[in-house]
Amino acid sequence: MTNIFRSEEMTLCQLYLQPDAAYSCISELGELGIVQFRDLNPNVNAFQRKFVNEVRQCEEMERKIRFLESEIKSDEIPIQDSKEYPDAPKPREIIDLEAVLEKLDNDIKLINTNADALFKNFYQLTELKHNLAMTEGFFNDTSHPIVFDSADELTSGLINPNVSTGGSEMKFGFVSGVIPRERLIAFERMLWRVSRGNVVLKYSDIDELIEDPNTLTKIHKSVFVVFFQGEQLKNRIQKICEGFRANIYPCPDDPNERRNLTMNVMTRLEDLNIVLHQTQEHRRNLLLETARSIKIWKIKLTKIKAIYHTMNMFNNDVAKKCFIAECWAPNSQLELIRLSLAKGSEISGSGVGTSILYQMESQEKPPTYHNLNKFTQGFQNLVDAYGVATYREINPMPFVLITFPFLFAVMFGDAGHGLIVTAFALWMVLKENSLKDKWRNQEVWTIFFGGRYIILLMGIFSIYTGLIYNDVFSKSINIFGSSWRVGFDEKTLLKSDSVMLEPNPQPYNGTTTYKQMYSGNPYPLGLDPIWQLAENKITFTNSAKMKFAIIIGITQMSFGVILSLWNHIYFRHYYAVFLEFFPQLIFLMCIFFYLIILIFYKWTHFQAVDATTAPALLIHLINMMLMSYPANDSKTPQSSLTFYSSQKTVQQGLLFVALLCIPWLLVGKPVYTIIKNKNKNKHPPSLPNGVASNDIEMNVPSHHPEVDMSEVWVEQGIHTIEYFLGCISHTASYLRLWALSLAHAQLSEVLWHMVLQIGLSMNGIVGGIGIFIVFTVWSSLTVFILLLMEGLSAFLHALRLHWVEFQSKFYKGEGYPFVPFSFKTIFDELPPADA
Amino acid sequence: MKDDLLFNLDHGYAEGLCRGFKSGILKAADYHNLVQCETLEDLRLHLQSTDYGNFLANEASPLTVNVIDDRLREKTVQEFQHLRNVSYEPLSTFLDYITYAYMIDNIILLITGTLHQRAIGDLLPRCHPLGSFEQLGAITVADTPAQLYTAVLVDTPLAPYFIDCISEHDLDELNVEIIRSTLYKAYLEDFYNFCKKLGGITAEVMCEILAFEADRRAFMITINSFDTGLTQDERAKLYPTCGHLHPDGLQELRRTDNYDAVRDVASRYPQYKILFEGSGTNSGDKTIEDKFFEHEVKLNMNAFLRQFHFGIFYAYLKLKEQENRNIIWIAECIAQKHRARIDNYIPIF
Repeated sequence: MTNIFRSEEMTLCQLYLQPDAAYSCISELGELGIVQFRDLNPNVNAFQRKFVNEVRQCEEMERKIRFLESEIKSDEIPIQDSKEYPDAPKPREIIDLEAVLEKLDNDIKLINTNADALFKNFYQLTELKHNLAMTEGFFNDTSHPIVFDSADELTSGLINPNVSTGGSEMKFGFVSGVIPRERLIAFERMLWRVSRGNVVLKYSDIDELIEDPNTLTKIHKSVFVVFFQGEQLKNRIQKICEGFRANIYPCPDDPNERRNLTMNVMTRLEDLNIVLHQTQEHRRNLLLETARSIKIWKIKLTKIKAIYHTMNMFNNDVAKKCFIAECWAPNSQLELIRLSLAKGSEISGSGVGTSILYQMESQEKPPTYHNLNKFTQGFQNLVDAYGVATYREINPMPFVLITFPFLFAVMFGDAGHGLIVTAFALWMVLKENSLKDKWRNQEVWTIFFGGRYIILLMGIFSIYTGLIYNDVFSKSINIFGSSWRVGFDEKTLLKSDSVMLEPNPQPYNGTTTYKQMYSGNPYPLGLDPIWQLAENKITFTNSAKMKFAIIIGITQMSFGVILSLWNHIYFRHYYAVFLEFFPQLIFLMCIFFYLIILIFYKWTHFQAVDATTAPALLIHLINMMLMSYPANDSKTPQSSLTFYSSQKTVQQGLLFVALLCIPWLLVGKPVYTIIKNKNKNKHPPSLPNGVASNDIEMNVPSHHPEVDMSEVWVEQGIHTIEYFLGCISHTASYLRLWALSLAHAQLSEVLWHMVLQIGLSMNGIVGGIGIFIVFTVWSSLTVFILLLMEGLSAFLHALRLHWVEFQSKFYKGEGYPFVPFSFKTIFDELPPADA
Repeated sequence: MKDDLLFNLDHGYAEGLCRGFKSGILKAADYHNLVQCETLEDLRLHLQSTDYGNFLANEASPLTVNVIDDRLREKTVQEFQHLRNVSYEPLSTFLDYITYAYMIDNIILLITGTLHQRAIGDLLPRCHPLGSFEQLGAITVADTPAQLYTAVLVDTPLAPYFIDCISEHDLDELNVEIIRSTLYKAYLEDFYNFCKKLGGITAEVMCEILAFEADRRAFMITINSFDTGLTQDERAKLYPTCGHLHPDGLQELRRTDNYDAVRDVASRYPQYKILFEGSGTNSGDKTIEDKFFEHEVKLNMNAFLRQFHFGIFYAYLKLKEQENRNIIWIAECIAQKHRARIDNYIPIF
């Protein structure tokens, strides 16, 4: 039962494992997931550890699996997701697995090399086909005189003039090929430069994307033909083509030969197609088979690797015959660990009882381990974000579980908004299983999903506070019927813009007869809906909410101080109960709890009749501090009158006690330390003299090192100032409960009046369309501003109130978390497969 | 001051990225672990725990030094190109300037390659990807510097640097080296002026680094040109004039004809005096080249001490290159089982 409030008791254990049994024992412990191993070889490099070869073997296998996986993905074969998590295979099965992977890896690679060669051939032929088809077009054009004319024009100026006249004598050579389209322009420019304009380039784009034979990727390409003259130029053009990665294809001059070549290419392409198809089919079958079991292999490999990593942390130096492991484990689970160790040894066949668990005494602080479920996990995360609890310290989580959503709701109080939040959270909670693996890469979503139970509670509490504030989308609902009746006749109502509802049985100005307007019984739940119409609604709610804030705040802080008592008693710091807990609590009680009593006193003891003469609480608190008590005569404003007789004596007494607490807290602990040190110094002489006692004497101080007194003083001084000033500032800080609640209520009211009201006041068909548009605007603003933004702000403020105002009273948070070796967490932390 | 205020507007993101990349540079402890590796597999295992992560994970065993080299370069280039892609003017021009140096190296590599009758297809993959440009593949067309200019370089940013080496001589070994030095000289001076024009901290940091680069080239040209038939005047033409040595030191370097004379010239400049004093020609001593590298690393590291300037991008790339050289050195030593000199890498942080 106490485990809810404190972290689990931990023990440092030593495991003595037979080398044969170690592997299966660790595997069992990994399935159990409640043991945190300590690294016993922190100074040894990763590559000098004992099982580095096994780890490397695993990595090699993982590489092969990654390769197979990428191949499977490129063929768009679905990988079968197995829900089962197989146990880590035995060491001898690893070799089988390795062999299987090796074979698959080789097979696929072989198929790929073959396929690549075939594809290369295929794409080359495809390019050739395009090349031939396009050049056919160019050559058909050459019969047209314009091309030659243009060629002549280009060359006429540079080469001997008879070219233009005797074009038929010229023997033009040409080179044709295929080039990536984006390089074409640079290619053309280069050709022109190198040949000084003595070439003609004809090109045309291939419409579809085609694969490049060298890189096997799909790109846009163009077919080109370069006409030139002379052998030397040909060499150069070929070099340029090579430099620009253009593929040159032969293209016969003769149209008949061209046709033959085209036919030839076509048949070869078809043959290749058949072969390629068969290769692909074979590959696909192989991959399909792989896809079925690849997930299981991956899980197995991850487990094997994790086991060897753990075994690398073991000590093997002292006794070569066995491994020694050190681990932290919760006390309550030791039996379970022993059982699984026995099971592990049995599996490995080395006989039961060969693995021994031995509990050790340790000076070291154990890690903090809270036994959590999916509901409490989120709240624990909120607490841990501030600091992980010191070992066995009171864990605020069970209290935060309720106070956090409650404080949030005080600020977020609106039943309508609360309902939406609740519905959203309920959806996440109910659909938990199917949503768990979805959108795991969406950071914002994972935050929401991780806090689904927090959001659920926040929503439910918001509905509650919304009902108390009587706010549903800034409107009140009249469930029980208001306790107020408007008792004026029409004449009075028509005469004035506003009328005042009198709670008193007194005649209202202007009327002679009294009509009872207040039923005498308050509205049963929360705020009377009549306030929605009142001009002084804000004044009224402000006053109420402010007082709530103070009451809630001081109660929570006192509770925090009381929790510190539990810590003191648990850790046997009995001196702290008297020197820290009491002065702190008494101070808080004398000033702030007294304020709460006054608030309740004022609420209960002042009727409507004497409402105007009720004393002001704020002024009273200030006067109490300043010890100024005005004389009770007619000149004194009524707001500073005393509440009750002998108030002065009581308040002065309280203040005196409160002030007494300050030196009490300030000097208490240092004085205690001084006395303790003195006693300790006095103690040794009482021991019998002798060599042995000297040794003890030598040893004692090393366990309790002499505390530097000045440090104690300074620390306690800071602590004192922090606490007393903190009480005041923290109380003021709780006023944020009121401020945010006010802001939220006002914002939603503004939204209603400025937006939705416009739509509601329109008539006719236009009004119908208008309300549709206006509602869209209103609802989206409600969701984004009021729910998301305001919700976030209320969340952060609630978080701050818990971290700073509440937890500072008792929570140290100096622990470190327990990270058990568990296969489950390893798999949860793995990146999602469909990344 | 005004520049500082507005710097982050355009370049804050890139600077942040660059500083982030910088923190991934290997520390002394990492090197300490690397040199203990017995095999390349160990090296891979250790690099996994650094910022390099899984960059070698998909390589099949056995690992070779070449594969490591390729992956290292790929990673550096990727990072640099990412920076270039997110950069604004004038940072993008600045980053382009950095790539010009690689373009020069690529051109020279291809020309020397073709002089030795190597196929262009084998040479192209060996070019640095940062210095590749469209016309690079067609460089073999050119037989003389003039052709090289008119056919290939005229469209590239290197064109203005090439003006001085246009000639009709055939390309041969010595010629190519002269072209490289001339291009480099023009490039360095242009880059220097560009940085100076940018002003502010960029100018302060970059001019310091580039001045050193210029002086280093002057020293190396001098030392390497003994007994090559290069006349003193020809040699003097190749000295970049933006360094600390300009003008007096360069004049004296021109007249030197042996290593000791160069050392005498250097001894008049305190920063170079230390470098030459710390180096030796005996085996086991650090060569002057290593000393220069060390000094360069120091200058580049200093660039990171100041904010709101472009120098860190240059410094980052250079440091990363040095790191790659270190890793390759260590890898080579491991692969060839030549562990005696494995500690001769140049530590960065």
